[in-house]
Amino acid sequence: MSDWAGVFIFFVVALIFGAGGIATSFLIQPRRDTPLKLEPYECGMPTQGSTWIQFKTGYFLYALLFVIFDVETIYLYAWAVKFQSLGLFAFIEMIIFVFILIVGLWYAWKEGALEWQ
Amino acid sequence: MYVEFALQHAWLVPLLPALAFVAIVFLTRPWQMLSAILAVGSMASSCVIATLAAYGIFTNHEYVEKPLVYATRWFSLGMPAMPDLQINVGVQLDPVSAMMMVMVSFISTFIFLYSIGYMNGEDGFSVFFSYLSLFGASMLLLVISSNLLQMFVAWELVGLCSYLLIGFYTHKISAREAAKKAFVTCRIADFGLLLGILSLQIVFGTLNLTELGEKIAHFEDYTTFGILTMIAVLVFMGPIAKSGQFPLHVWLPDAMEGPTPVSALIHAATMVVAGVYLVGRTMFLFHEVPSAMELVAVTGAFTALFAATIAITQREIKKILAYSTVSQLGYMMLALGVGSLTASMFHMWTHAFFKALMFLGAGSVLVALHHKADVWEMGGLVKKMPITAWTFVIGGLAIAGIPPFAGFWSKDEILVATLAEGHYVLFAMAAFTAFLTAFYMWRMIFLAFFGKENPANHPKESPWTMTVPLLVLAVGAIGAGWLGTPWHNVWAEWIYFGSPHHAAANYGAMMLSVVLAVAGIGLAYTMYLKDTEKVKAKAMAEKYSTAYRVLVNKYYIDELYLWFNHALVDGAAKIFYLFDIYIVDGIVNGIGASAKVTGEGLRVFQTGRLQNYVLIFFIGVLIVAVLMAFVGPSNAVPVMGGVK
Amino acid sequence: MPADMFALTLPFDPSALTLEMLMAGLAMLVLILGIIVPKGARHGLGWVSLLGILGIMAVAVSLWGEKRELLNGMYLLDNYALFWKITFMTAAALVILGCMRFVDNMGNQAEYYSLTLFATLGMMVMASAGDFITFYLGLELMTLSFVILVCFRKTDAKSVEAGIKYLLLAGMSSAVLLYGLTLIYGLTGSITILEIGRIIAMQPLSPALVLAVVLVIAGLGFKVSAVPFHMWSPDVYEGAPTPVTAYLAVGSKAASFAIILRLFVSGLPGIWENWAMVMAILAAVTIIVGNLVAIPQTNIKRMLAYSSIAQAGYILVGLVTATEAGIKGVMFYCFLYVFATMAAFVVATYYYNVSGSDELRDYAGLAQRSPLLAAVMLVALLSMAGIPPLAGFAGKFYLFSSIVGDFLWLVFVGLIMSMVSVYYYLRVALVMYRDDPVDATPISVSSPVAVTLVFATIATLVIGICPGPLSEVVNGAAHTFFLH
Repeated sequence: MSDWAGVFIFFVVALIFGAGGIATSFLIQPRRDTPLKLEPYECGMPTQGSTWIQFKTGYFLYALLFVIFDVETIYLYAWAVKFQSLGLFAFIEMIIFVFILIVGLWYAWKEGALEWQ
Repeated sequence: MYVEFALQHAWLVPLLPALAFVAIVFLTRPWQMLSAILAVGSMASSCVIATLAAYGIFTNHEYVEKPLVYATRWFSLGMPAMPDLQINVGVQLDPVSAMMMVMVSFISTFIFLYSIGYMNGEDGFSVFFSYLSLFGASMLLLVISSNLLQMFVAWELVGLCSYLLIGFYTHKISAREAAKKAFVTCRIADFGLLLGILSLQIVFGTLNLTELGEKIAHFEDYTTFGILTMIAVLVFMGPIAKSGQFPLHVWLPDAMEGPTPVSALIHAATMVVAGVYLVGRTMFLFHEVPSAMELVAVTGAFTALFAATIAITQREIKKILAYSTVSQLGYMMLALGVGSLTASMFHMWTHAFFKALMFLGAGSVLVALHHKADVWEMGGLVKKMPITAWTFVIGGLAIAGIPPFAGFWSKDEILVATLAEGHYVLFAMAAFTAFLTAFYMWRMIFLAFFGKENPANHPKESPWTMTVPLLVLAVGAIGAGWLGTPWHNVWAEWIYFGSPHHAAANYGAMMLSVVLAVAGIGLAYTMYLKDTEKVKAKAMAEKYSTAYRVLVNKYYIDELYLWFNHALVDGAAKIFYLFDIYIVDGIVNGIGASAKVTGEGLRVFQTGRLQNYVLIFFIGVLIVAVLMAFVGPSNAVPVMGGVK
Repeated sequence: MPADMFALTLPFDPSALTLEMLMAGLAMLVLILGIIVPKGARHGLGWVSLLGILGIMAVAVSLWGEKRELLNGMYLLDNYALFWKITFMTAAALVILGCMRFVDNMGNQAEYYSLTLFATLGMMVMASAGDFITFYLGLELMTLSFVILVCFRKTDAKSVEAGIKYLLLAGMSSAVLLYGLTLIYGLTGSITILEIGRIIAMQPLSPALVLAVVLVIAGLGFKVSAVPFHMWSPDVYEGAPTPVTAYLAVGSKAASFAIILRLFVSGLPGIWENWAMVMAILAAVTIIVGNLVAIPQTNIKRMLAYSSIAQAGYILVGLVTATEAGIKGVMFYCFLYVFATMAAFVVATYYYNVSGSDELRDYAGLAQRSPLLAAVMLVALLSMAGIPPLAGFAGKFYLFSSIVGDFLWLVFVGLIMSMVSVYYYLRVALVMYRDDPVDATPISVSSPVAVTLVFATIATLVIGICPGPLSEVVNGAAHTFFLH
């Protein structure tokens, strides 16, 4: 039991430490809420124009496809180095692996992910 | 071959009407005639299978000692408290259940057929037939059950159906009230029955009838009797209500609010005899407890006499029949109480025929007279409705106990059994009841069917769907008793408990019961037929006005219950009421309100903001961590021991 | 050059993975078909998926009784796993069959079905997972598929919002879970669950292990939406397309329970005394909060969401004792829960197609417009409430009978809250049966939906009336659980 008391005290102290700070500032802070104050970040440069701008998703798609095939290359590289000792099973596995990726690419192609619009 | 099939597939007997119920509810409801045909057809098929199975049972004497049981696992538990609790569902066929099966399905078939005519043009025609089918199915399930829990399920289903059917005319307040009364009364008692069944499971570890029978027979070997007595009394509570025994008979006369075929079904073949049947099935239990047997016998005899005295003064045709049912059920209980399963089942068998007959006859009369029920306003119906009247007369002779009609033999069997067991007081009560029975029945018959015609009535005979069942049942009312004459008692060879026993012909008792019956009829004749102005009857009523009023008001039992309830609800319950308002309601509303408030309150957290959700998630992590640290076995954790 | 360069040397027997390979193949096939087949003919993809699932189910049934361990317990194939896989596939089949029209209205059928199948694949992997890697792989496959499915109606702001929420919160919970798993790995030096079980049983309890278990409970508690980790589910359930909600409520939850059982009963039985009470309290709180918050809901999907939180609480009850009876209860309940929930959600989906609304008040008079829909809904809700003779009663009975001994208070909590739940379940019945419809035109139910509904309802009834056979199957499956 005494062992647990230590933990308990630890928790209490931690709670006081955390909550106390918030509570103190909550109690003593001057409260003048203005719309400006309720904005997420009260620092940095004032934004120019609307922050609600849209990025072109094309970038994202390209990045995604790149990562996928990049990772594929890493796997293929490791396999190629050890190709002789891994044998037929690994070969078949690799073919399946590549096939799955090809299906993915096929799908992306078909859906127009590779076209820059 | 057919017999073998029927024996092995007796579960079809309740299943077919149950399927008819489902089919009518879901498919054929819009087509009335189809629904009716479905109901009648399924019940008739059940009847055929039941008859075949019964044929198989009654041609092989082995089944008397060793019932044909087949069952399948329903569910089982691996609970620590009851490691091998197994509940089966199955079929138990022996002469008793075979007889019941045939009786129930046979009578039901004709009552269903009759209902086509009776319910013609009523609202909810199809629904009515679906209820009837379910009723029949439940009762048949009850009859063939091999297990008490299964039986209880069927028992409750029967109760439910009675509720639905008694309250069938939902537009009538009285019908709704009666349905409620029937249901509630039975439920109160069923609680006892359920406790009894549970106790049986706990004490004996099984609810299968055959196994229970064996275990209870050897029970005395290892423990005391008190528990068994308690169980027997608890189990008997169910039948007290279901079979309308004093003091829970009050629902039965009110149950007349349902359509007449329902009354016939409830009173003759199904619901009310369920109680008698249950006691008969658990005879092995009662047999071991003499005091419980005593209780059954006294309850039965008292109910028989009690109900008969009430019946004397009633005016409504169905009420008279209702009280006569209560009285006859008393007889059956009496027979069980004195240990004669033979006599009890025999009387149930004959009673089914003549009581169904009379109820259907009464229904026929009611239809003809546009539901004018007072026998004093009838009279002379025999001329316009000969079939109804004469079949009714046959029923009257049967119930009064005039040989060679069915009732004579079974009643005689009960009287003799009572006498043989040395219960002289009970015998006297039963004999006097026999006299009263003859009197009140024939009072009704003379008033309704003979004497002067009431010019206000314009009766005419009912259609064939109604008269054919009457005729068929009349044949039963005449001949059903010949199975058990004292000279050649086939009945007793098959249906008995323990060892076959039937009393040798006791001519004294036989004479006595005939004399009493004739005397009863004679008295009714002089008072109600010969004396056209009923001077004597009125004089009697005035002379003994107190007694008369007591009887007319059924011993004020209903009032007593009402008063008791009022005393409880208005008086003592005022306290409860206050308690209710301030504490229970407070708590309940509090719970309800707090449930709502908590619900609403907790809803507040559902802000839709991800940040809040994440916050709550981590608060949850924290709480779980604290719980883990403090709720578990603390000594096992070396907290400051650090990470290993 | 070694002579056996092309020799087919297999480090393990891939036939144990038949089901998963078939499911992956099916999912890809559907995707490929979606590319090849012209847009107009894509409604047939649902049937392809359905038949495929049924075929794989048949294979699963034929594997019943197999018992294999791959790669030192990394992958387990036993009756326990098979039972769960069949459960998931049943749910998938029902949701596909019942909601085809809804999917056709949404468009993009190929993606929808193939994602559904991938999610199922993830669940199946979870059911067989014997170590953390496999488990996490399956979990993520399932979760990511669901994320896409949740925001499948791209033009519907609610759906997208739900998807984003689910993505972020699921990511966070995964992180927490991973942290817990990492700690366990650090303490035991193993990621194989059975191995961990053996090691932990020998070690004294350390605070780090307690923390690890806390984090694992939180991570998995999120998946089964146990209070207080449930915040995501009402929003996501409401926003997601209804069939997805149904599958999320059933499949994701059941799969998580499958792995929770493995993890806690096989992996952490050594410290059972420490987590049992926590589980019991979590179960109680989940039951209470789920049922209470369901009361004021006016949207049927939201109500069902809270009710499914409460159901998760009931299922957690079976975990508390970590006995065979409890495991059996969990499996039994999850299986029947599939039918009740699917029935309710398919009705909701179908009705949404007709009326365009999920609000409870718009269900007024449903009984007059379509007796079938109303009756199925009623049976499903009553089953969830645990009214005998429906399946839910038998399930709750098994669950609670497993804890009668030591956790009687929890039984009472469960019973009382079951009574509370009847209130809001019956309120739906009241609206459907008592009120008159605004628009009384009858609703005709298309035959696939009718088949789904009738099948689910019959299953609910049959399991309720005759729980024996299923209970024996589950007993057998729960038994193999302890045989590794």
